[in-house]
Amino acid sequence: MSDIARPARRLPRIPPVPLAILVGVVLGGLLVLVSGGNPVEAYAAIVTGALAFDNLPNTLNWAVPLVGMTLVAATPLRGGMINLGGDGQMVIGGLVAALVPLYLPGPGPLLIIVAILAAMLASGLYATIAAWGETRHGIPMLISSLLLSYPAIGICSYIVGFPLRDTTTGLAQTPMIPEAARLPVLSGPLNAGLLVMMVVAILVVLYDRFTVGGYELRMRGLNARFAGYGGVPLARQMTGVMFASGAIAGLVGALIVLGSQFRFQDGALLSPGYTWSGLMAALLAGGEPLGAILAGAFFAALQTGGFAMQRETSIPRVLTMVLQSIIILFLAIRHGVGRRRETR
Amino acid sequence: MMAGPVGAPPVAELEARGIVKRYGPLVANDRIDLVVARGEVHAVMGENGAGKSTLMSILYGLQQPDAGEILVRGRKVEYRSALDAIAEGMGMVHQAFKLFNSLTVWENVVYGMEPSRHGFIDRRAAIARVGEIAARYRLAVDPAAVVGSLSVGVRQRVEILKALYRDARILILDEPTAVLTPQERDGLFDVIRHLAADGRTILFVTHKLHEVMTITDRVTVLRDGRVVERMVTADTSPREIIRAMTGRAVNLKVEKAVSAPGAPVLVAEKLTVLSDDGRPLVDRASLTVCGGEIVGIAGVAGNGQTELIEALAGLRQPYRGSVSIAGRNVTAAGVDEHRVAGLAYIPEDRAVTGTARAASAADNLAMGFHRYPPLARRGLLDGRALATEARAMIARFGIKIGSEKLAVGTLSGGNLQKVVVARELTHRAPLLIAEQPTRGVDVGAIEFIHSELVAERDRGAAVLLVSAELSEILALADRILVMYEGRVLAEVDAATATEEALGLLMAGRVQEAA
Repeated sequence: MSDIARPARRLPRIPPVPLAILVGVVLGGLLVLVSGGNPVEAYAAIVTGALAFDNLPNTLNWAVPLVGMTLVAATPLRGGMINLGGDGQMVIGGLVAALVPLYLPGPGPLLIIVAILAAMLASGLYATIAAWGETRHGIPMLISSLLLSYPAIGICSYIVGFPLRDTTTGLAQTPMIPEAARLPVLSGPLNAGLLVMMVVAILVVLYDRFTVGGYELRMRGLNARFAGYGGVPLARQMTGVMFASGAIAGLVGALIVLGSQFRFQDGALLSPGYTWSGLMAALLAGGEPLGAILAGAFFAALQTGGFAMQRETSIPRVLTMVLQSIIILFLAIRHGVGRRRETR
Repeated sequence: MMAGPVGAPPVAELEARGIVKRYGPLVANDRIDLVVARGEVHAVMGENGAGKSTLMSILYGLQQPDAGEILVRGRKVEYRSALDAIAEGMGMVHQAFKLFNSLTVWENVVYGMEPSRHGFIDRRAAIARVGEIAARYRLAVDPAAVVGSLSVGVRQRVEILKALYRDARILILDEPTAVLTPQERDGLFDVIRHLAADGRTILFVTHKLHEVMTITDRVTVLRDGRVVERMVTADTSPREIIRAMTGRAVNLKVEKAVSAPGAPVLVAEKLTVLSDDGRPLVDRASLTVCGGEIVGIAGVAGNGQTELIEALAGLRQPYRGSVSIAGRNVTAAGVDEHRVAGLAYIPEDRAVTGTARAASAADNLAMGFHRYPPLARRGLLDGRALATEARAMIARFGIKIGSEKLAVGTLSGGNLQKVVVARELTHRAPLLIAEQPTRGVDVGAIEFIHSELVAERDRGAAVLLVSAELSEILALADRILVMYEGRVLAEVDAATATEEALGLLMAGRVQEAA
């Protein structure tokens, strides 16, 4: 209630993402300093651990599932929707991909293709349940997609724990899949899954930029009412997007099982937390696919570097997760503050 | 009815001086002065977007004005929040009730100001106090009832009780009858009369004319954020109020030849649209629009026009009735089928529905036509075609934007409206629905949009025009339908229609208009 103009308190115009990363690095460094470590040493270990020539394959191998789960989150986010059910969808895909070569006859290459497609189909269909709940019954997908994750994980755990368990070991896991049905190795730890994921990532970017569906999804994300007014069938679109998102999660599960673990082991797909790192990467880019892919790759490098740092120095790799969180939080603050200022 | 106070009272109960509130480039309240006397029922009228809600939220402390001052009983007040306003004796009943449905009436009423004894809520005292206030103002409510089990009308009484429990001297009722049945409405009017007789002051926000005529002493009319008229209810008429609400100083004359209607393009039969709680918003409305004619729908805003159009465009499912466009039954179909059948549609709200602010002009100008050639082939968007079409539209309609790649969010209202109009007119659809096509647009753009609408008619399109501005309807339409409380009340030939007769019809007074 004053005639006096508010003083314009504006932060300097540094693009938000680099600024957030900078703040994360500085705060993370302080954290290391406070706990008695050497920040320069820590960051050097992260960088060499992630990007040195010998370590690059490891980073790429870690990036395949992480970028995959980034796309799982980014695709719905592009249209203003959120899929929190990546864990469940990925686990379903992983289990299906393990069961196909174990229980179906046929030549190896064919089994690989069938396993991947079956995994994508199963996970995609499972993800559409959440979309169906929202479009038909008004259950917010944000909640249902997350909740649906737990029964999926539980059921898969039961299946490998009891009926289809490898009885030769003491663990809840399937038997090893035959060698012929494993993804071909490119070099070292790298397998053909890298190529598959690159193709999928490129397809998502192309879809976003050049297709009618991509346009409709973008417009929905910017103003869903406008999209509906323009004739975009919002319910069908939500179902389709969730199917695609779930299918990519299934693909990630399948690539891990067929490419590096060679069996479905209870909990093994979830412990690295790809879903949540992917979600953060997608949020970082606001759902824009290319940005999300880069963010996902960045997080993969950060995390692989974290492992190296833990080996080389006495600093635990949790630091890299802290870094990741600070970056996201800081971005969220910036967005929130910016928005409020606008409406004033 | 009570006699309206004559002249300005010595000290106004509530006074607002020069209230200004801006949202970006939009001036929602432009130097508003408002004087309300003690014990008065004062109507604040205006169309959607006239600035009523903004003004009320400022008076109730929910928002702070950019300039201006508020005086309560002659004393200047500054609200930091609604709590300050409540302390000054303000009360507000919102359109959407703010109640805990699982709690009882008395719990809702005393919430935040509970009478206590030894640190515990004094239940008996609370119930007694609530019952006492209810009896005094004839608010028939059982203090022990659970709010969730009560009807909408009774819940509203609980809201009023809440305000009175906090000893509100000035009560703002925001569109209080929108959710009420006629009987409940009459009950509310009784309560209002009792409150006024007790020396409490009522600010009654509405756009329903007969209610204003029935219950209020004075009227302040807002339009485009400004006070355009202050009237004593007893000395005015519904027609004068309508003119104040919708009228525009410039009455633009549109050059047009006699229409030559062709075959029916849009046919709606006995269309009924229900609100979420089952009240009919559109009530068995039938209409036909032929190629080569402009049919205008007149009516005071809020009489079902918006919902009717949403049902015709496929944005809302009708409960009963049928809609066909160019011979295709599209009653249950989605928007895309409507568009394929031949619909172009300029929506009421260009910023909320008609555009995506953060999207580029090219993306905005493609929407609705983006699935079909020339913009797309086999599911692939032709980016070059999008840009070419957008540039052509920007040039033809004189949209002031640097490039088709820029976001439309920064455009002025008139330019943003041109984006919508350009998009909807470029594809030569057989049916054009234009809803408030010139609202908030400058005079030059109005003339341009009007001549484009007539050109659409002259090339054989069926045009359905909805406007709250009578002058616009009279200038453009060949036939006029009047909507009142969800029904198509009357059809008038535009050649013989007078503003007076339409005004009476818009107020629901068929006999007098005949």
